[in-house]
Amino acid sequence: MNIELHTLSTVTGIQGHPGNFTVTLRQAPRYVDPDKCIACGLCAEKCPKKVPDDYNLGVGKRRAIYIYYSQTVPLKYAIDPEACLYFLKGKCKACEKFCPTGAINFADPGEELSLKVGALILAPGYRPFDPRVLAPYGYGRIPDVVTGLEYERLLSAGGPFQGHLIRPSDHQEPHKVAWIQCVGSRSQDGRGNPYCSTVCCMYAVKQALVTADHVPGAETVIFYMDLRAHNKEFERYYVNAQAKGVRFVRARPHSILPGPLSRGVVVEYVAEDGRTRQEDFDLAVLSVGLEAQDGALELATTVGVDLNPFRFVETTGFNPVATSRPGIYVCGAAESPKSIPRAVMDASAAAGEAARTLVMARGTLTREKTYPPERDVSKEEPRIGVFICSCGINIAGVIDVQELADYARTLPRVVLVENNLFTCSTDTQDLIAARIRELNLNRIVIAACTPRTHEALFQDTLREAGLNPYLVEMANIRNQGSWVHQHNPAYATRKAKDQVRMAVAKAALDYPLARAAVPVVQQALVVGGGVAGLTAALELAEQGYAVTLVEKGDKLGGNAWLLNRTWKGEEVRPFLTGLIAQVENHPKIQVLKQAELKSVSGSVGNFTGEISVAGESRRVSFGVAVLAIGGQEYKPEEYLYGEHPRVLTALELDALLREKPADLKAAGPVVFIQCVGSREPGRMYCSRTCCTHSVENAIRLKELDPEKPVYILYRDLRTYGLRENLSTKARELGVIFIPYTLENKPRVTESAGRLEVTVTDPILGLPVRLSPDYLVLASGIRPHDTSGLVELFKCGVNEDGFLTEAHPKLRPVDSTVDGVFLAGLCHYPKPLEEAVSQAKAAVTRAGIILAKSAMELDAIKSEVTAHCDGCGLCVDVCPYLALKLEDYQGDDGRRHRRVVSDKALCKGCGLCEATCPKEGITVHGFTLPQLEAQVEAVLEAL
Amino acid sequence: MFVVHLVALAKAIGVHRNTIRNWVKSGRLPCRPGPGKGLVFTPEDFARLCQEFHLEPEALAPRQVGGGREAQPRPAARLGATASREDNMTGNVVGSVMVVGGGIAGIQAALDLADSGYYVHLVEAKAGIGGKMAQLDKTYPTNDCAM
Repeated sequence: MNIELHTLSTVTGIQGHPGNFTVTLRQAPRYVDPDKCIACGLCAEKCPKKVPDDYNLGVGKRRAIYIYYSQTVPLKYAIDPEACLYFLKGKCKACEKFCPTGAINFADPGEELSLKVGALILAPGYRPFDPRVLAPYGYGRIPDVVTGLEYERLLSAGGPFQGHLIRPSDHQEPHKVAWIQCVGSRSQDGRGNPYCSTVCCMYAVKQALVTADHVPGAETVIFYMDLRAHNKEFERYYVNAQAKGVRFVRARPHSILPGPLSRGVVVEYVAEDGRTRQEDFDLAVLSVGLEAQDGALELATTVGVDLNPFRFVETTGFNPVATSRPGIYVCGAAESPKSIPRAVMDASAAAGEAARTLVMARGTLTREKTYPPERDVSKEEPRIGVFICSCGINIAGVIDVQELADYARTLPRVVLVENNLFTCSTDTQDLIAARIRELNLNRIVIAACTPRTHEALFQDTLREAGLNPYLVEMANIRNQGSWVHQHNPAYATRKAKDQVRMAVAKAALDYPLARAAVPVVQQALVVGGGVAGLTAALELAEQGYAVTLVEKGDKLGGNAWLLNRTWKGEEVRPFLTGLIAQVENHPKIQVLKQAELKSVSGSVGNFTGEISVAGESRRVSFGVAVLAIGGQEYKPEEYLYGEHPRVLTALELDALLREKPADLKAAGPVVFIQCVGSREPGRMYCSRTCCTHSVENAIRLKELDPEKPVYILYRDLRTYGLRENLSTKARELGVIFIPYTLENKPRVTESAGRLEVTVTDPILGLPVRLSPDYLVLASGIRPHDTSGLVELFKCGVNEDGFLTEAHPKLRPVDSTVDGVFLAGLCHYPKPLEEAVSQAKAAVTRAGIILAKSAMELDAIKSEVTAHCDGCGLCVDVCPYLALKLEDYQGDDGRRHRRVVSDKALCKGCGLCEATCPKEGITVHGFTLPQLEAQVEAVLEAL
Repeated sequence: MFVVHLVALAKAIGVHRNTIRNWVKSGRLPCRPGPGKGLVFTPEDFARLCQEFHLEPEALAPRQVGGGREAQPRPAARLGATASREDNMTGNVVGSVMVVGGGIAGIQAALDLADSGYYVHLVEAKAGIGGKMAQLDKTYPTNDCAM
């Protein structure tokens, strides 16, 4: 409600200064009155004109009057004036005739708007590379060559073929599919982009795995140059794909030919042994890269921000969301090619930057959402409405939703059953609210997906319809039904019936619950004084919150002291000293050095911590915490490290470059070995920064002495994104790159004091012996010991010791615990600019909590009943320390003991209820009668 | 010196013109009567006035008289420099942000801002928001539905 959408709009001008801009917009006519359109779809049904659907990338068709896609916001039709017969030929107007609400307006002139805003955030996104210019790949000529994004539509349940994977030429299921990587990326001939697009390797691996789900036994082959699985959990995903039979071929195919009868394709490539091969496939997918959006140049010119030569918005390594013009910020793929989590992180960071400059005017233009008064349902008999979601074909493709709906109608107290294509869509929310009012429903069952992602949405719908939000039950017939039993539809349908019956049984016993509110302590705790922690502390303080920064050492700055430059070439030290000075002199920041967090109690909005500072203990209260304890360089045990003085780690080479460049200039050959301590069994992750770091240092060495032989021995060179330009530069300067494999690592020996490195050259197939003066090991990043923090905050940690985020795509800076946020290396290895971005994003997310004076808690909480006799069994099992024993004086005048539950600490896990032998404690929303009703319902089928 | 019309000032503050006259007489308004219904202020007093009543200096259409030889550009610009440092920090900052682009990045930025107390104008070139992510089937590495 505090977001106003301006669709079909472009920015045409901007005036003013940071804090007070006037932006003009041109809103193209929609020709449909959004206030009248009810998205019934009659117009599109009657529209005689079919055009390729741009949402489905032309794979399917849509009409000239259309909605962008079925879950889009706003769910209102629009007329495409370039396709509409009335605009082209002057007659038709079928939509106007059939529209039941008279929403069509062919005379819609559009609108010019002038809006006053304090800041601007640019997020125009990217466009996929158009591979038509690469004629040898035959895209556009050969029907069975598609782009990666088109293949997404082919796989998608909401796509033109409802998720039945077919190839375009003859609509048959493909059994052998090839992916060609780096199409339009890492290109040196001017027909593509020179940079790496970052995401294509992983999307190809994902598509190969999903293909195997669609077509069991399908053969999938990925032709790649370097497989860049460089982010969190990506390496394991890649290794898992190899184990599941996806074939990875290191080659860049030079051409694709049509198969016999124009069906299928023939891929021609030069294998690693130098021989030309041909292989037949049913379908080829071009993993097209990302490039700047069409309008990027115009937008940048209009608003006056600088672009880099690749038409991405120029930023610095120290503030990756600030553009060249103050008050205007950038996020998403408009800044550089990036994956979803990075785009989300930068978006939060940009939002925070904008918010910080406008902090004076916070809350001046926003409104609070209001709900109608809650209906008292205590006197009413349960009247249950069941809404069954088809989820496109995600559910309906396996489960017979019609049969399920018919069955649900037979259940007691069910008044209404409806089946929706997407129950989560906006129009269905309106429908649910309308049905609640019309039929006086007082309990709702949603048979769809997981409450984890969608319960809040349905709770809100109930509130809008005047019902208590806790009168909704969800039956997860997708994740627990159609997804896990996709090969057994009959069983899945039977199970869905059981689930719906259980949900209905429980819903009948649901009762209204009230949410308690706790006051928010508007202070923050930041753990860790590296760049991420410093940035987070400074940003929080700038937003007006008092911050306590805890650093275990006696010096702020962390690993950044060991770095020379960012990959963009900016000096790190001036930035770092400036940042430290700002933090240490900020009146709102209290810096505690040699300090350690000893204990934490409380929960989001109201934590209390005990910090030991140089042996002394202090207490602090805080509403949110940002964890930024960083990581460290792995000290290798291999390759003669520590045994030979000229075997260095990357950071040791940095120090040498800083302090004794002359020594390096005079030295002979230098060899880098990549992936030391990364991407190995037991440490199955990529440390991300090391490839770029080595390439940068190789360039520095070549600049010191152009004649010096420099070798980089690598597995997959992961100079992702615009960093690819560095590796191109290194090659131009004569750095020699030799790939090796995990099975055949380089061997390092010493003879007469000289180092010898032996590696097998894949093209020659023979060992190559190098005698370097220096051997640099690109050792990976290790997390610090996070077990202490995990213990204190109960936050999640992955098997490598990195703290886990709440959702890998959509909540990349929130930890698994509310009110605790992550930034920097403790989350995953990352370069400086991403650590800064994550810290800023963490502050934005934290600010959402701190901006409130009180915080609503969930109502699913434990409550002690009169049966409690103070045995204390539950106190021992409570993992959140929410239960305590207390003495009290009973009616009989004697002293008794009983348990009390702290609502702010309780997470409603239910362990206490399960432990209690006498119904002395219960959890609201999961009371014993409710659970019994569910169990009885499921046993009914037996 | 600035000359402001009595009626314009009364309108801007929202009181009757006689009230203004009374204020001038009682000395509450630091100015002296000028030609016609004009009131003459020193630049400092004028700035204080604008600040006290939250007035836009330009809205009063002040005429600059005397001291014009000091090579000052336009009165509005000068006022901006003297009077509105404070003013700029409070009154002139707009509590809304425009986000250009309704893909996942734009949507996230818009939501974060709206949740933090800022009004958001989300601008999208297409007929609906969602962007490229809405076109994806599943996301790696968890194979969650992109929608």
